Amino acid sequence: MNDKHITELLDNTPLASLSVSELEQIRSHAHVCEPCRDAFAAAQLSAVMLKERAQAVTEPSPFFQTRVMAAWREQQATESVPALWRLWKSARTLVSSMALTTAALGALSFMVSAPTTTTNVMDQTASAPSAESVIFGQDNDDQLTYEQVLNTIYVDDEDK
Amino acid sequence: MTVSDLTEEEDKWLEQHLPDLEEKSVENSVVAADLADRLLSVLSPEDQQALLMIDGEQASIKEVAEATGWSESKVKVRAFRARKKIREAMERLMGSKREVMSR
Repeated sequence: MNDKHITELLDNTPLASLSVSELEQIRSHAHVCEPCRDAFAAAQLSAVMLKERAQAVTEPSPFFQTRVMAAWREQQATESVPALWRLWKSARTLVSSMALTTAALGALSFMVSAPTTTTNVMDQTASAPSAESVIFGQDNDDQLTYEQVLNTIYVDDEDK
Repeated sequence: MTVSDLTEEEDKWLEQHLPDLEEKSVENSVVAADLADRLLSVLSPEDQQALLMIDGEQASIKEVAEATGWSESKVKVRAFRARKKIREAMERLMGSKREVMSR
């Protein structure tokens, strides 16, 4: 295996992904070839550093910390407001709309029940004895006197 | 990049790890990460991204392709090129360090 082959193998694949046989091949060649030994050593160090770089925890910026602290303080201030007040603030729209709906329904039911009363009065008026019922002896025959019957007949005739 | 560009801690880290590469214990990860940053700075941001994901995070070519929107062959080429550049930069750094140590 020449120098080019080893460096190509080193550059093609991450060291951690090389198979045991590939690593053995590289090691055995690097043992006899100085440039390849340096290349392998450099690849090993690079791999270690890249792994450390990937695992390094990035420090948050001061602005990020300020924003987080401001949000946290705001949350603390919100939590100090009484729970009932917060509940009212969040639900007042719903409660108002429910009250309005109830009032509207009450007004509607009042308006619907009013004509029913009028009808009852008219029914009572209609149940009074009419001239026809008196003449033809319907319904209230037993309650009318003879004079009432005659009066009804002759008054009607005189009107005509 | 040469040894004179390194900080005292980076220089010490390299010195500790040069003689015996079989023992890869990293005493100071921060120094190693800083040194990696210096080496990565020779790459384009895209090549850095590909190399850090594949070699640093052990992501597959397919995963990097999906995350970046690049084709798999593009990811392979970028990673190959980046790995080669980093290795060559590290070789030069090691050579220069050995020269300083041999004096």
